[in-house]
Amino acid sequence: MSELRRAVRLLDVDPRRFAVAVALGVGALGSAVALSAVAAWLIARASQMPPVLELSVATVAVRAFGVGRGVLRYLERIASHEVALRGMTALRTTLYSRLAAGRPEAALRVRRGDLLARVGADVDAVGDVVVRGLLPAAVAGVLAVFTSVAMALFLPTAGLVLFACLVLASVVAPLLAARAARATELRAAHARADMTATALGLLDDAGPLAVAGRADAELAALRDADRRIAAAVDAGAGPSALATAAGTLAQGLAVLGALALGIPAVRSGAMTPVELAVIVLTPLAAFEAASALPAAAVQVERSRAAAGRILALLDDAGDDASSTTTTPARPSPSDTPSPVLRAQALDCGWTGRPLAVAGLDLEVRPGRSVAIVGASGAGKTTALLTLAGLLDPRAGHVTVDRNDVASLSRTARVSAVVVTTEDAHVFGTTVLENLRVARGDLDADEARAVLARVGLGAWLEALPDGLDTLLASDGRTVSGGERRRLLLARGLVGPARILLLDEPAEHLDPRLADELVTGLLTDPRGLDGTPRGVVVATHRLAPLAAADEVIVLREGRVAARGTHADLLADPGYREALERELATERAR
Amino acid sequence: MKPLDPRLLRYARSARGYLALTVALGLATAACAVAQALLIGHALGPVIADGASRAAVAPLVGWLAVVIAVRTAVVAVQERYAHRAATRAVAELRHQVVLAASRPGRHAAAARGPEVVTLATRGLDSLEPYFVRYLPQLVLAATVTPAALLVVLGLDWISAALVAGTIPLVPLFMWLVGVMTQGRSQRGLATMERLGAQVLDLVAGLPTLRAFGRELGPATRVRALGDAHRRATMGTLRIAFLSGMVLELLTTLCVALVAVGVGLRLVYGDVGLVVGLAVLVLAPEVFAPLRQVGLHFHASTDGVAAAEAAFAVLDEPAPVPGTRPAPSLADATLRLEGVSVRTPHGDFPHRLDLPLRPGRVLALAGPSGGGKSTAVEVALGLLAPDEGRVLLTSESPDVSLREDAPRSDDGAPGPVDLADVDLPSLWSQVAWLPQRPVLEPGTLAEAAGAADVTAAERDAAAARTGLDAVLAALPEGWDTPLGRGGVGLSVGQRQRVALTRVLLRPAPLVVLDEPTAHLDTAAEEVVLSTVRALREAGSTVLLVTHRPAVLAVADEVVTVAGHPAVGHDEPDSSDAVALGSVGTASGGAS
Repeated sequence: MSELRRAVRLLDVDPRRFAVAVALGVGALGSAVALSAVAAWLIARASQMPPVLELSVATVAVRAFGVGRGVLRYLERIASHEVALRGMTALRTTLYSRLAAGRPEAALRVRRGDLLARVGADVDAVGDVVVRGLLPAAVAGVLAVFTSVAMALFLPTAGLVLFACLVLASVVAPLLAARAARATELRAAHARADMTATALGLLDDAGPLAVAGRADAELAALRDADRRIAAAVDAGAGPSALATAAGTLAQGLAVLGALALGIPAVRSGAMTPVELAVIVLTPLAAFEAASALPAAAVQVERSRAAAGRILALLDDAGDDASSTTTTPARPSPSDTPSPVLRAQALDCGWTGRPLAVAGLDLEVRPGRSVAIVGASGAGKTTALLTLAGLLDPRAGHVTVDRNDVASLSRTARVSAVVVTTEDAHVFGTTVLENLRVARGDLDADEARAVLARVGLGAWLEALPDGLDTLLASDGRTVSGGERRRLLLARGLVGPARILLLDEPAEHLDPRLADELVTGLLTDPRGLDGTPRGVVVATHRLAPLAAADEVIVLREGRVAARGTHADLLADPGYREALERELATERAR
Repeated sequence: MKPLDPRLLRYARSARGYLALTVALGLATAACAVAQALLIGHALGPVIADGASRAAVAPLVGWLAVVIAVRTAVVAVQERYAHRAATRAVAELRHQVVLAASRPGRHAAAARGPEVVTLATRGLDSLEPYFVRYLPQLVLAATVTPAALLVVLGLDWISAALVAGTIPLVPLFMWLVGVMTQGRSQRGLATMERLGAQVLDLVAGLPTLRAFGRELGPATRVRALGDAHRRATMGTLRIAFLSGMVLELLTTLCVALVAVGVGLRLVYGDVGLVVGLAVLVLAPEVFAPLRQVGLHFHASTDGVAAAEAAFAVLDEPAPVPGTRPAPSLADATLRLEGVSVRTPHGDFPHRLDLPLRPGRVLALAGPSGGGKSTAVEVALGLLAPDEGRVLLTSESPDVSLREDAPRSDDGAPGPVDLADVDLPSLWSQVAWLPQRPVLEPGTLAEAAGAADVTAAERDAAAARTGLDAVLAALPEGWDTPLGRGGVGLSVGQRQRVALTRVLLRPAPLVVLDEPTAHLDTAAEEVVLSTVRALREAGSTVLLVTHRPAVLAVADEVVTVAGHPAVGHDEPDSSDAVALGSVGTASGGAS
C-alpha cells in the first residue's frame, strides 16, 4: 500500500480540484438518489389526492434531478480527468528529472521498451487510481453518510440499517474483490509467463519443433499452462462472486429492512405513510455509487504493481543530484586542449550481472585511434559506456588527465569524451535539431558539412525539406545505415575531443563501411579541424590497418592487441579476416 | 461489426455453455426484476393507502426476500462462471491460433508475424472483459429490458409509451453526437497522440541526451509537452463524454417524466397506487442494461477485434496433409526440382535443383538472404514451394517388394511427391540443427541425448563437439538443469549441445545450419569434426555454410541464389549466371 501512496503523492494532486470533482460526483449520484426519493414521495402523496399545486415543487424537483444527474456526471468526469492528467504530467516530469539527474546506469540498464512502458502505461495506471479508485471511493463515502442521515431523519433505525448495508457493499465487497484479484494474480503470474514463453516458442520455432517431433509436447505444455491459468482464475472467481453477491444482497437487505421497520412505525404513528414509500424506495437508487467500488479496488491492485515499478526506477536512479542546467559550449582552447583518456585494469559490467570485460588497459589522446573488435556480445558496448563515465567501473580506473572521469563536472566530462552507442536515439524532430543535440549552436552550413563528411550528402539532397525534414522517433523513417551515419555525424559535431563510437558503419555495404571506418581512424578530426582521438568498436577487421592500435576482445578478456599488421601473425585474427573477405567474394 | 459473432461459439466451445447459462440467468434476472417491482408495489400500496399491518403484508415481504435471495444467487453464479468461461474460451482460441499459425506449409515469416505473436500472448486476453462484462449486459438488454417494458405496458400504457419512445432516441442521439463531433475529436486524438509520443521520445532519448550532457534542459519541455497533452486530451474528452451524457440524460429524464406523469394521474385517480409504485421501480430496470452496454462498449470493440484477428488466422485454409509413408532416407534420394519460393522482394530461392543422395554430404552456399534456409524448409516439407516440386525416390530394389512401398500410377515403384508424404514419417528420420537450436527442457544430459548412453560414449561425443569445454565451466556438469529453450546457455553453447545430440543419435538425414560466429576458429573445427563423424556413421548431411574449409569437405556444393523482383535493389546477381545450378565438388571425397 505504501508504494502506491508514495506514487500517488508524486502525482501532486491539487486538493481543491479533487474536492470539486468529489462534490460534482456526489451531486451527480446524489441527484439519482434524490430523484428516487422525491419520486417516491410524489407518488405516495399523489395517491392521497391532494391539490395538484401541493405537488408542483416535487414535480419540478424530480425533473431537475433527472437533468442534474447527467449534467453533473459529465462535469465530474471532466474535472476528475483534469486532476488525473495534471498528476500524470507532474509524475512524468519528476520521473524524467530524477532519471536525468540520478545515476546514469538507472536509465541505461532498462531496455528502451521497458522505460517507455514505465513512463507511458505505468504512469497512466497510477493516474487512473485517481479517476477510478480514489474518486469513486470518496463519492461513495460521502453519499453513504448523506443518504443514511437523510433516511434517519424519517426513521433512525432505517437509517442505521441502510448505513450498515452500504458498509457491506462499499467496504466488504471491494475488499473481497481486491482479494480475488490478488489471489488470481499471485497464482496466475507464473502460469502466464509459462504460457507466453511456450506460445512464443511454438510460433518462433514451429519448424524445428515439428521436425524434432516435439510440437505436440509443446502444445500440451501450452494447454497445461492455460489450465493452470484457468485454475488460478477459478481460485479468484469465488471471492469475486461473493463480492458481487454482497453488493446485490446489501441492496435487497436495505429494502427489506426498511419495509420491516417502516410498516410498524407507520402503524405506531412514528412515521407518515408517505415517508414509508421514501425509505423503502430510496435504497433502490442508493447503491449505485457503492456498486462501482469492487472495480475500483481491483484498479487499485493493478495500479499498485505499476507504482512499484515506477518507484523501483526512481530508487535506482537515486536522489536528486545537482540540478544545475548547463549546456556544453564550443570547445574552447582554454579547456584541456589535449585530454588523455586512460583506462587501467578496467573491469566493466552492469550491476548484478557477470563482468562483460575484465582487465582492459587503454590510452587514447587527440590524434590517436584505437579499434576494439570482438563478436557481438563480447562486451564492446559496455566497455565504451564505462570509458565514457556513464557506467561505474567494477574495478580499475578511467581517468581524463589523471582525474577520475566520475569526478568531472558534466561540462568537463562532455568536452573531453562522448560515446555514441549503436542504440543511440534519433529524436522525432528535424535533421538539424537531431545534430544540435550534440551542440546547441550548430548552424546549417556546419550541419551540411558534417553530413557530407559521413557520406550523407546525397541523402540530404534527396530529403524534401533538407535539414528541416522531420524524422520519425527512433529513426524509423531512415534506413539502418543512414541512422548510424547520422549518429556518427552527431558525435563529430560535439565538443568532445575524444569520441567513442560503437559500430558506426553497421548496415552499410562492406566497401562503404570500410571506407568510412578507415577515414575515421586515419583522420579523426572535428568540424573545426581540431584533432580528435577515437575509439571505434567494430566487428569488421578489414579497415583496421588504419588504426594505431587494435584490441581484440574474446570471452570478456583482451585476447590480443597490437597493430593490424602485428595481429596478422595471430592465426585466429588472420582466419577471421580471410573469412570476412571470403564471405564478401561469395556475394 | 456484430455484437456476437457465431464463429466465436464455433471455435470456443466453452463459450457455448456459458452463453446458455447467461441467457438462463438473464431470464431469471428478468423474472426477479419484474417480481421485485410488483411485490414492492403490492406490499407498500395497502400500508400507505389503508395502513395495513405488517402481518397483512408479511407473505409479500417473505416472497420479496426470496426474490432478493434468488437475485443475489444469480449474480454470484454469473460472476463465478463468467471468469472461468472467459479464461477457457481464450485458452481454446489461443491453442487453435498457435496450432494454425505453426503448422507446416505456412511461410515461417508469416507464422512468426508479430501480430500473431501479440494476438496469441496478449491480444486474446481482451476477450475476457467482453465475456465477463459486455456479453451478460447484452443478454440482459435482450431479456430484462423487454420483460420490464412489457409489464409496464400491462400496468400503465402511457408510461410504457414514454419509455418505448425514449429507447430509440438513445442510439439516435448518440449517433448524432458522434457525427457532429467526429472531425473535431479525430483532430484532437491526433494531436493528443503526437504530444504523448513526443514526451516518450524525449524519455527514450534520455541516455543519448545524457551522453552529450544535455539531459537537464528538456525537463521543462517534458512538463510543457505534458501540459499541452493534457489540454488536447481534455478537448477530446469534453466531446467524447458528450455521448455518455446524452445516454444518462435521456434515460434519467425519462424515468423522472414517468414518475411525474404517474404522480399527476394518481391525483385524478386514473391509475392506482400499487401500479404507480411498480412502474416507478420498473422504469429504471428497463434502462439499466442499456446503460451498462453503453458503458462496456469499449470492452466489446477490443474483444471483437481480437476475436476477428483470431478468425482471420483460423479461417485460412489448412494444407491437406499427405498420407503416404516416407521411404527410408538411408537409401532414398530427396530431390528439389526447380523450386522457387515467392517473397515480396522476388523469388528466394529461384528455380533451385538440389539432389540429396543417401550417404553424401551436400553443402549449400550463396549470399545471405539468397534463400538457403528457405531451401532447407522446403526440403523438410515445412514450406510448400510456389514453383517446382520435391521428390523422394527410393533406390533400393527390395523396397519395391514391400506392400506399402510407394508406387507410381502404373504400380511400379517410383518417386513420391513430398506433398503426398505423411511428414512425421519423414521427420522421424531427420535431425535438424537450425541456427538457433531449441533444446528439450530438462538436464543438459537429456537435452544432449546423453542420458542413456555410457559415460565413455558421451564424453567422446562431447570432446568432438566442444561441449566438453562448456561442461567444464558448469559446476553441475551433465546434470545442469536447462530452462525452456535452453535458457542459461549462449547460442553457441546450445549449438554444441544440439551437435552432441546429433552425434549420439545419428539420423539418416542430418541438416546443419551453421552459426556465423565471428572470430571463432574453434567453431569451424567442431563442424568439420562433426561432419566427418556423421559421414562415418553413414548419414546423409545437408550443410548450410559460408566457410571455405567446410565447403571443402562436402561431396557437392550447390549455390543458392534468388531472383529479385524487377526494380528492387537487392544485391546485384548479374554475375551469378548459374543461379541455383549444381556446382561441382571442389575437393570432397567424391
